[in-house]
Amino acid sequence: MTTAPTPASTAQEGPPDPDLVRLRDLIYQTAGIFHPDNKLRLLLDRCGRRMKALNTRTLREYFECLTVRPTKQAEMVALLNEITIGETCFFRNQPQLDALRQVVLPKIIAAKAKLPIRRIRIWSAGCSTGEEPYTLSMLLMEETKGQLKDWTIEILATDLNERSLAHAQTALYGTYSTRNLTPFYRQKYFTSVETQLQVMPAARANITFSRLNLSDDARMIFMKSLDLIFCCNVLIYFDLASKRRVIQHFYNNLLPHGYFFMGHSESLYGVSEDFHLVHLPGATGYIKGERRTGGGTQL
Amino acid sequence: MKAAPAPTPIENLRKRMEGLRQIPTIPAVLAPLIRYIQQPVEQLDVQKITDMIAQDKSLAAQCLEMANSPLFGRWQKVETLRAAVIGLGFQRVGDIAMSCGVLNLLPRDGRGIDPVAFWEHSLGCALVSRHLARMISFPDPGKAYLAGLLHDIGVIVNLWVLPKEFQEAFQIGRQESIPLHEAERRVMGFDHCESGRFLAEKWGLPADLIQVVAFHHTPVQSSDQTGLVALIELSDLLCRMSGLNHGYVEARQVDVQEEPGFAILAEKCALLKQFDWARLTFELDSYMDDVHALVRTIYRK
Repeated sequence: MTTAPTPASTAQEGPPDPDLVRLRDLIYQTAGIFHPDNKLRLLLDRCGRRMKALNTRTLREYFECLTVRPTKQAEMVALLNEITIGETCFFRNQPQLDALRQVVLPKIIAAKAKLPIRRIRIWSAGCSTGEEPYTLSMLLMEETKGQLKDWTIEILATDLNERSLAHAQTALYGTYSTRNLTPFYRQKYFTSVETQLQVMPAARANITFSRLNLSDDARMIFMKSLDLIFCCNVLIYFDLASKRRVIQHFYNNLLPHGYFFMGHSESLYGVSEDFHLVHLPGATGYIKGERRTGGGTQL
Repeated sequence: MKAAPAPTPIENLRKRMEGLRQIPTIPAVLAPLIRYIQQPVEQLDVQKITDMIAQDKSLAAQCLEMANSPLFGRWQKVETLRAAVIGLGFQRVGDIAMSCGVLNLLPRDGRGIDPVAFWEHSLGCALVSRHLARMISFPDPGKAYLAGLLHDIGVIVNLWVLPKEFQEAFQIGRQESIPLHEAERRVMGFDHCESGRFLAEKWGLPADLIQVVAFHHTPVQSSDQTGLVALIELSDLLCRMSGLNHGYVEARQVDVQEEPGFAILAEKCALLKQFDWARLTFELDSYMDDVHALVRTIYRK
């Protein structure tokens, strides 16, 4: 029988614990976030924290907390919070950003080459405390000397949580959020305010923050003409039906050449057949596939 | 008098290859070993296989090293070849012996290409091919492993026979972030599929593996009826788009379902139509650390 994880047991090399693999698969199935074998130790650590809080001794028992007990939904949310804790920082997913610069932007620029207005519109859906939209703003500003010369950058950043949005608007960040910043970006786009760093006005000017509930259909239809949507570690909290609804909105909100990006190890498998997975160097993204025409399901 | 037509680049290569004494050869023990392992399991003998591998001392040592890697699903340390054969099974030990054997084929100076990166790609492709094969119920995952391992042996030929030209092609590939075979064609007039075919034939590899070596970038042209070539095209592509590339990333976008290999393989394996490519991509991530560690250990010996 599997015992509660301790630092000693996690340090041991060994085949993946079947109970942990079962938990991994449950999380992937319900939330769409996958822990490959080399991240199982991290997952065990996160489960360990929840097990301690619940006074649960074994992974098998904890699996029941997530599947059988009346509080299973709340527990899944608590576990997902543990899993994504500390994920929010500037330049969180560098390969994704490199792929954006190297492959995705040139494609968007080519698709819009004949349009009179040179404008790129990005939506950071579930922007939390703002690290993602600011990162995108800085990254794209760097491109305005090259491929985005004379382009207008418009970033819409939305979140449900007003406190997160208020924080985002102060643009003030501590050492944890800014741990991935290179000296280049730190010097060029930040000023020191006491012990914190604040994003400079130029990088803030491209962004409009607003409160939005992704389940609010009436407002979702107004998010129009987008080239890029980022929605990282947000849909993991939605049930399948709500996820599908949000994804359908994203599909409609994107221009035909648009891209949809999720968090690292997050997938749309089983959620949408309209979006197509594409492989970019070191990252994955989704593009709009052909619309289903008939009423039947198409594989 | 009419001048004879100038030989094509590939004819030139063939000529140079024939004149070259140092054509890389697979270790002598491997061909009989691979043939032996193809027999039905009940006819196989642990001692016989152990003896075959032990004939080549350095190969035997490398096999043990690899047998202890988590990549081969072994969590308790094996100390002897015999224990490895018993613990891992004949097929796995054959895979390991073949992997170690081909790992020694690149010139150690690298000649402009990082041999570690090259073998990481080949070993990665072998593992990903086997994994994909299992997931879609492809009939022979062991063959998929071998095919993934050997698909790029043309690179070895190019390095031995035309080191300067190949180096130039590799640099162009890296600088422009384009696929290696495109850069090779531009610089040398042919690519590693064509040169690999020579070597595969010279080594006397089975016909299906020759098809993989020759057509893994153009599966439509292959006469393969099993889907093996298409399977390798797809896993090669996934590896090249991830950290298991040749030492640089290609700046492009790949939609696996639009690849020629996808349609071919989907005809053979119905499960491919609903396959979760995102999950395979995340799983591939977890191979990376182990592949890096293993190739580095073996190569630095």
